[in-house]
Amino acid sequence: MNSLMIKALAFSAVLMGATIFVVKYMNVDLSDPVNLITMLGAAAIAFLTFGVAAKYINQMKTDKAEGELTDDNWDGIGEYKNELPGGWAYSFLGTIIWAMWYWTVGYPVNAYSQIGEYNKEVKAYNAQFQEMHKNADADTLQAMGESIFLVQCAPCHGETADGLSGKAQDLTARMAKDQILDVIAKGSNQLGFPMGAMPAGMASGADAEAIADYIVGGMQGQAPAAYATCAACHGADGQGMNGMSPNITKYDEKIVTQVLANGKKGMIGKMPSFNNRLTPVQEKALATYLQSL
Amino acid sequence: MFHWLEKNPFFFAVGVFLVIAFAGLVEILPNFGEASRPVVGLKPYTVLELAGKEVYKKDNCIACHSQLIRPFKSETDRYGQYSLSGEYAYDRPFLWGSKRTGPDLHRIGNYRSTDWHENHMWDPKSVIPQSIMPAYKHQFSNIADIETAYAEAVTVKELFNTPYDVDGGVALGSWEDARAAALAEAKEIAADMKNQDVKDLVANDQIPEIVALIAYMNKLK
Amino acid sequence: MQSNAALEYDYSVAKLFTYTTILFGILGMLIGTLIAAQMAFPELNYLLGEYGTFSRLRPLHTNIVIFGFTLSGVWATAYYVSQRVLKVSMAESKFLMALGKIHFWLYFFGALAAVITLGMGITQSKEYAVFEWPIDVVIVLIWVIWGLSLFGLIGIRREKSLYISMWYYIATFLGIAMLYLFNNMAIPTYFASGGYGSIFHSVSVYSGTNDALVQWWYGHNAVAFGFTVPIIAMIYYFLPKESGQAIYSYKLSLLSFWGLMFVYLWAGSHHLIWSTVPDWMQTMGSIFSVVLILPSWGSAINMLLTMKGEWNQLTENPLIKLMVLASTFYMLSTIEGPIQSIKSVNAIAHFTDWIPGHVHDGVLGWVVFMIMAALFHMAPRMFKKEIYSKKLIDMQFWLQTTAIVLYFTSMWIAGITQGMMWRAVDEYGNLMYSFIDTVAVLHPYYTIRAVAGVLYLLGFFMFAYNMILTMTAAKTIDTEPQFRSPMA
Ligand code: HEC
Ligand code: HEC
Ligand code: HEC
Ligand code: HEM
Ligand code: HEM
Ligand SMILES: [Ca+2]
Ligand SMILES: [Ca+2]
Ligand SMILES: [Cu+2]
Repeated sequence: MNSLMIKALAFSAVLMGATIFVVKYMNVDLSDPVNLITMLGAAAIAFLTFGVAAKYINQMKTDKAEGELTDDNWDGIGEYKNELPGGWAYSFLGTIIWAMWYWTVGYPVNAYSQIGEYNKEVKAYNAQFQEMHKNADADTLQAMGESIFLVQCAPCHGETADGLSGKAQDLTARMAKDQILDVIAKGSNQLGFPMGAMPAGMASGADAEAIADYIVGGMQGQAPAAYATCAACHGADGQGMNGMSPNITKYDEKIVTQVLANGKKGMIGKMPSFNNRLTPVQEKALATYLQSL
Repeated sequence: MFHWLEKNPFFFAVGVFLVIAFAGLVEILPNFGEASRPVVGLKPYTVLELAGKEVYKKDNCIACHSQLIRPFKSETDRYGQYSLSGEYAYDRPFLWGSKRTGPDLHRIGNYRSTDWHENHMWDPKSVIPQSIMPAYKHQFSNIADIETAYAEAVTVKELFNTPYDVDGGVALGSWEDARAAALAEAKEIAADMKNQDVKDLVANDQIPEIVALIAYMNKLK
Repeated sequence: MQSNAALEYDYSVAKLFTYTTILFGILGMLIGTLIAAQMAFPELNYLLGEYGTFSRLRPLHTNIVIFGFTLSGVWATAYYVSQRVLKVSMAESKFLMALGKIHFWLYFFGALAAVITLGMGITQSKEYAVFEWPIDVVIVLIWVIWGLSLFGLIGIRREKSLYISMWYYIATFLGIAMLYLFNNMAIPTYFASGGYGSIFHSVSVYSGTNDALVQWWYGHNAVAFGFTVPIIAMIYYFLPKESGQAIYSYKLSLLSFWGLMFVYLWAGSHHLIWSTVPDWMQTMGSIFSVVLILPSWGSAINMLLTMKGEWNQLTENPLIKLMVLASTFYMLSTIEGPIQSIKSVNAIAHFTDWIPGHVHDGVLGWVVFMIMAALFHMAPRMFKKEIYSKKLIDMQFWLQTTAIVLYFTSMWIAGITQGMMWRAVDEYGNLMYSFIDTVAVLHPYYTIRAVAGVLYLLGFFMFAYNMILTMTAAKTIDTEPQFRSPMA
């Protein structure tokens, strides 16, 4: 092999090597058919282009122009009557035959449909993962929840779930004082708990302040008297009476699933509903993860 | 034959034209009637949303954002249901884009909200620290062109039978009606926002671009 | 044949377009380099207020390099080449001279108006067809004038048989005319609504998926008839002319031409793979794209074979070097495109940086190199001066070649990585990466690309400098060189 060809192939090999190194580094699975075909395609581009170009450029060194000239001449430019280069002509013919075969036999016989393929993909996925995670343990759920959180929730709540200085709920704590005061003042009716709506104005003034302080403080010590109103629905321990109303002391699975199903508009802003965007296992995983924060 | 063509430019040109014109007929025409049919329940854009679409075009978000969810599980997990042809029936022009420097936006209205857009358009890094998207602060003071949006709605209603002013649909009416409706819609959005300048403008019956843009973003579902 | 008759050709229009090629080249690539830098360093978005964001500048970049730089280059060479291969001077017809001048000035002011309106954000938002209807009307007018001018010259030609370059210029004219008209069909809303709103605004007559189909039938072939066909016209003239070699094979020219014409138009739907257009249309686009490799490579191979045995010219004449490299990059982009058209590959490549990578293999390696070589070749003949500096061309060649390699390798890796990261799932079957992870990972590649932009731009400045000094300061020559261009 001549030196030009060696250089061309070496360049292609380095490019492919670097590409594979980088995607491997990002944990990409190259056995996935789409990824694999793409890599082969990329290799074909590099090796064919630089290989074939090197072949012809090398001929500038080794070969000589010859042939029979046509009678025409334009501004000093002549033209040979040379035959078509064989490799080119056969490849052209080959691709034409392939195209006709593919169009008439290869393609319609398979009766391909991209939505059909999508459905197959989803089914294969379900077979692989849905079953596997049905009875996942807490550690698995937590790890899984974290990875879902980073993709779906972090854009609003931040990667550490701290709410990005008040742009969304800080999920590392339950609600802040002013939020609680806001709910007390305005009531709430959007999360879809069995108990339905929370009326507005259940407490006010110093009572409301005291309640809010008590809740934010983690419901330690003696409850202020006014909290009795709240206890009627949220329980003396604030845990929501077994899912009848929200747990106002910490994030439990119920509140997370209710928020995901219904979304929530509060004093910070609006969180959209994730209805139909997550599977039950994923919701459970998110809840587990949030409780671990 | 080819030698003859090369000596007869007129026929040469005709030959070239026939060879190149052919493909368009075979490949484009057969689907024309079907592809433009709307999916059931699709509503046309309100005037405010159209004005927002104009902001999207003017600031050229299409440079970085697509609006086409391909039927792959990885895309439907990220963005929601794959896109259907009939969902685009009222998109003139289509805004699928060809580059995703940022994420797809075809269903952004499902999983982002007014307040989030407000933060994000003012300063993307405030919500996504590693974002490379530019801030669009000028949209908070530039006034949206509601009148042109109205003109567009009238045009598509009359020329392409886009169903405005039908029962249970989007009302258009006269320019005064349309302007009032756009303002009412804008006020609802501004109520969910925090920027005081925006609130003041809307209170004074002026609609900043950001409000129209958010109306459009929220419509994308 | 060796007579001085050649010196009587009238190059005044070709010269005017030469100037705008240089001007728009600098402007377009300056903006290209800026937007490349913005993707690596987003703070650069705020240099010009609302007009300086990446999104506002990107269409300025694409449109200035396409409709400013490339079209100017096409017309500069078309006005130069057609006189010579048709053996007739424009000066022989007052009408054609006038038409040529009108062509240029209408184009120049049209281009200014286009840049200004686009900068203001007045856009139709159809990629490569962004100009609103008043500009479209001017563009159609310019095109008609070019047509009259081109066919007018052909009408009074002495050389009966059309040279290959003319085939390609004619095809450029017809292809763009047909595509542009159909894709830009739009209704101005001001008139349709009875006087409301902006006079510039229009709505496309097609909607949704139909609009997409027409757009990419146009978009793909705008590439074909803007970045491919007229550039082939150039190489078929300038490579044999500069080297003095005869074209390797008439048959290969012939098959490549008609093959390209027939196949190209079918391939547009490779921009719509996995979209909502019917599956058979997507598949047709894929199939024809793969077939398209051969008629594309045919021209490139014909050119490389034309240089058979001329190794010394390749090493000694930088213009030959430019053109041989242009052929190679033409080969690269015309196999890369078809491979990206394969459905599985497109699932990864589409929407990623691999596509701009592919684009710039073609435009930087093929289009710009070829146009620069052509203008260098024309300069001594048009201005009757030696090329100012050979050394500069040599330096520029290496600088820009390095830049292209950096550009395409970085975007190749960036695109493939991002495409695969979007699809990646973790051990639990959930998406492995958030979108922003896939953006953050690209930072080094965006940086490399920005460096590539600076190098390439530097090379283009060297080209511009060399051209300007050739026009003004270089040594005068009194006989026209037959083949190789004289350079100091
Ligand atoms: C009548 C029953 C009832 C009473 C009394 C009541 N709540 Fe509630 N509370 C609810 C319900 C039901 C919800 C869920 C509302 C929804 O769906 O939006 C709720 C929601 C809340 C929330 C918001 C939780 C979240 O995550 O969004 C807070 C905080 C809260 N209550 C605190 C209080 C306090 C403090 C009091 C006493 C002053 C109180 N509640 C009294 C029924 C009640
Ligand atoms: C578009 C932005 C956005 C996204 C995406 C988002 N959230 Fe939220 N989320 C919010 C906002 C804003 C609030 C605070 C609402 C309020 O109380 O004002 C919130 C509140 C919450 C709460 C507290 C609700 C309560 O009653 O205290 C939980 C739990 C929550 N989000 C979980 C999630 C999870 C899990 C995800 C991802 C699957 C997610 N969020 C995605 C914006 C978002
Ligand atoms: C330079 C490229 C760029 C431009 C121009 C750009 N964006 Fe973005 N956009 C991004 C990137 C990168 C992200 C992801 C990071 C983030 O959320 O900021 C993004 C995210 C978004 C998101 C959130 C999507 C999601 O799923 O989280 C929205 C909405 C958005 N952009 C809207 C716009 C609008 C509207 C415009 C035009 C006015 C625009 N963008 C212009 C790059 C861009
Ligand atoms: C055989 C010839 C070619 C084929 C089959 C081809 C194919 C393709 C494909 C598949 C895409 C990507 C579509 C997507 O997924 O987004 C593309 C994009 C592009 N190609 Fe090519 N290509 C060819 C040659 C060229 C050449 C020679 C050039 C330029 C000199 C070029 C310029 C472009 C441009 C500008 C785009 C970007 C379009 C956009 O904005 O999305 N192509 N091409
Ligand atoms: C200094 C040289 C150049 C640099 C640094 C440069 C940089 C860029 C960048 C950063 C983009 C945007 C890519 C993205 O959105 O991800 C782009 C797009 C584009 N450029 Fe350039 N460019 C240069 C020269 C050119 C030239 C000379 C041409 C044409 C003759 C050209 C044609 C295009 C086209 C057609 C696109 C759109 C591609 C697409 O949509 O896929 N560029 N360029
Ligand atoms: Ca593009
Ligand atoms: Ca247009
Ligand atoms: Cu294409």
